Amino acid sequence: MKKASVKMRQNMTGWVFVTPAVVLLIVLSIIPLVKAFLLSLQTGRGSNLTWAGLSNYVRMLQDPTFKQTIITTFEYMVFSVPIMIILGIILAVLLNDQMLKLKGIYRTCIFLPAAVSLVASAVIFRSLFAMDGFVNTVLVGMGILDTPYNFLGHPTSARIIIIIMRIWRWLGYQMIFFLAGLQNIDASMYEAAKIDGANKWQSFWRITLPMLKPMILFTTVMAINSALQVYDESVNLTNGGPGFSSMSLAHYVYNTSFVNVPNFGYSCAMGMLILLMAAIITFVQMKVGDKRE
Amino acid sequence: MKKRILAMLLTGVMAATLLTGCGSSTDTVGTDTETETEEPAEGSGDDAVDAAAEGPQTLKVWCWDPTYNINALNVAADIYREEHPNFELDVEEIDSESISAKLATASTSGELDTLPDIILFDDTGFQKNVISYPEIFTDLTDYGFNYEEFSPGKVGMSSVDGRNYGIPFDSGTAIACYRTDILEQAGYTIDDFTDITWEDWIEKAKHVLDVTGCPLLNGLSCYNQITIMLQSAGGSFFNEDGTANLTDNAVLKKTIELYTEMVEAGVYTEETGWDTYIGGMNTGRIAGAMNGCWIMSSIRSAEDQSGKWQITNLPSLDGIEGATNYSSQGGSSWAITTSCENPELAVDFFKSTFGGSTALYDEILSTGAISTWLPASNGEKYTVPDEFFSEQPVFAMITAYSGNVPECYVGTYFQNAMMDVANAVTEIIYSGTDMDSALSAAQDTLTFEMSQQ
Repeated sequence: MKKASVKMRQNMTGWVFVTPAVVLLIVLSIIPLVKAFLLSLQTGRGSNLTWAGLSNYVRMLQDPTFKQTIITTFEYMVFSVPIMIILGIILAVLLNDQMLKLKGIYRTCIFLPAAVSLVASAVIFRSLFAMDGFVNTVLVGMGILDTPYNFLGHPTSARIIIIIMRIWRWLGYQMIFFLAGLQNIDASMYEAAKIDGANKWQSFWRITLPMLKPMILFTTVMAINSALQVYDESVNLTNGGPGFSSMSLAHYVYNTSFVNVPNFGYSCAMGMLILLMAAIITFVQMKVGDKRE
Repeated sequence: MKKRILAMLLTGVMAATLLTGCGSSTDTVGTDTETETEEPAEGSGDDAVDAAAEGPQTLKVWCWDPTYNINALNVAADIYREEHPNFELDVEEIDSESISAKLATASTSGELDTLPDIILFDDTGFQKNVISYPEIFTDLTDYGFNYEEFSPGKVGMSSVDGRNYGIPFDSGTAIACYRTDILEQAGYTIDDFTDITWEDWIEKAKHVLDVTGCPLLNGLSCYNQITIMLQSAGGSFFNEDGTANLTDNAVLKKTIELYTEMVEAGVYTEETGWDTYIGGMNTGRIAGAMNGCWIMSSIRSAEDQSGKWQITNLPSLDGIEGATNYSSQGGSSWAITTSCENPELAVDFFKSTFGGSTALYDEILSTGAISTWLPASNGEKYTVPDEFFSEQPVFAMITAYSGNVPECYVGTYFQNAMMDVANAVTEIIYSGTDMDSALSAAQDTLTFEMSQQ
């Protein structure tokens, strides 16, 4: 047997170490993805599926409910992501102040919602905004409203509350990333700026923001991806209602499989579209944000 | 060097275990499924009873609601065990939606052995599931079950093309419940709400709201309310041939018209969650409830309101042909799966309990589970006055109502139709769309959905 060179032996070791991860990835991610794609080319009721080519994708273009839910999903994304990022940066900068006392407590409080189960937070929000809930009691008590307002029963306010809940929940999560980013900025840069006569505002715009750019890019991509997949809020807070007015795309995907007459092919096709959108948005952002070339 | 070889070996072993792990599990599944299909699921009449004594004596069940369905099952098992001491029930609590998800997984993966022997289904989803997953349901037509002793409307809910796939369980006969103490403040009694029309009801409800500040009804969006009103006049979302019928549907239009008026007048509150729906009636924020008679178990949970409630029939749709003061909502039926190794035992169990024991129905009556097995209403407890509902003989009343419920066509696409109509109603109420265009859009959506399967 020919003796393998040192390099080859090292490569072998590498491959053996990588193999378990690759196998897991293939079994748990790649195969289901391919199967989902194949399923998206079939149609039928329940388990009686037949091959149908691209008909599920054509169906999406014609399906009014699909159009309505995708618009709602984009609304969630457009309103929640920027607010979340801007508030996250502001909070992170405030909580990064060297002079601030009890930082740990504030940080924990703001991060805590992200650790709460989505179902539990939906229940909290529903009772907050219920007809006899806290918000109505306060507003009526202060004389702002004459009678309680059915916040979750009106299409616009229901969507706004879903956006508020998303911001409440994910803000602390985003903030942690920005805090981590801020800790990586060398304090001497601020000192240098101070010596050069820059005020706090200027050093925020000239130092903090540019240095945080990779982090902003990363959190935006994550926030958009999670916004495209909004499901729990839509199911647990409003049940998509009234009508379909606050239903997210992922909730509709669920409904076409498990509430309506099941059509797994169509659900998979819509799932594929979500994947495609997330991939494109991520790709564009990576290209726009990456200035290394 | 030795260490490196050891590390490589260990990693290799790890990967190998992973792969073999997957392989062997697939193998087992394969053989199991094969045995399943070889077994013929046939049997009838007296042979069935003998056959039941042989195979396994434990039945596994999926259903929801411990105070209601599971309680009924356990009582039934106790009764059946008197003559069959080896009999065991293994009940797993799974909510209705998760059952749908599990069916989908089992059916698409072909692993039918993950299913239990018996599954409970909502009547409105029964036919949909039979059509979507035919391989899961045992055809019970030739098992000699006494279907003729059940109300025909109920048996129809779990039949497809004249074949029976379900064992009828509870009744969904609709009732209207009101807080008589709140009605009194507005100068009304329960009689003012009995045998009336919806127009009359809305006027009185507005008066109650003015005087007491309490809306008379609430509901989970419009879903149940619209169905109840529609079915009270024998209406449906579909024509008899199964095609969508939302635009030329006088009953539906009248229903939506009245419903819109109720919401806009503030006498009906749309809720988004089950908790706030039940909470409304339990806290006294809402002065009434209208739903299938199973709602009584939720009303009863506010024990401090005992003696303050009474029930009556529903308002009728004025000026609609075939309008009645009776309807139904909910109700469920049992199905026996094809992975049941001893279907004779399952059928025999149901035959001697849910289809043959007045003692069972007497026992579970307190939870509000009212029988669709006709002889059960002869049971003693059906005529006893109910303390919670101001000494009304509620069960006798509901049984009497159930005889008047018009038969309705439910259809496979009921759930789709319900969602599309709910969306139309939302647009009518909140976006000011006129009814004809909203309904014609809903009709297009529904027809589209039905054509795509």
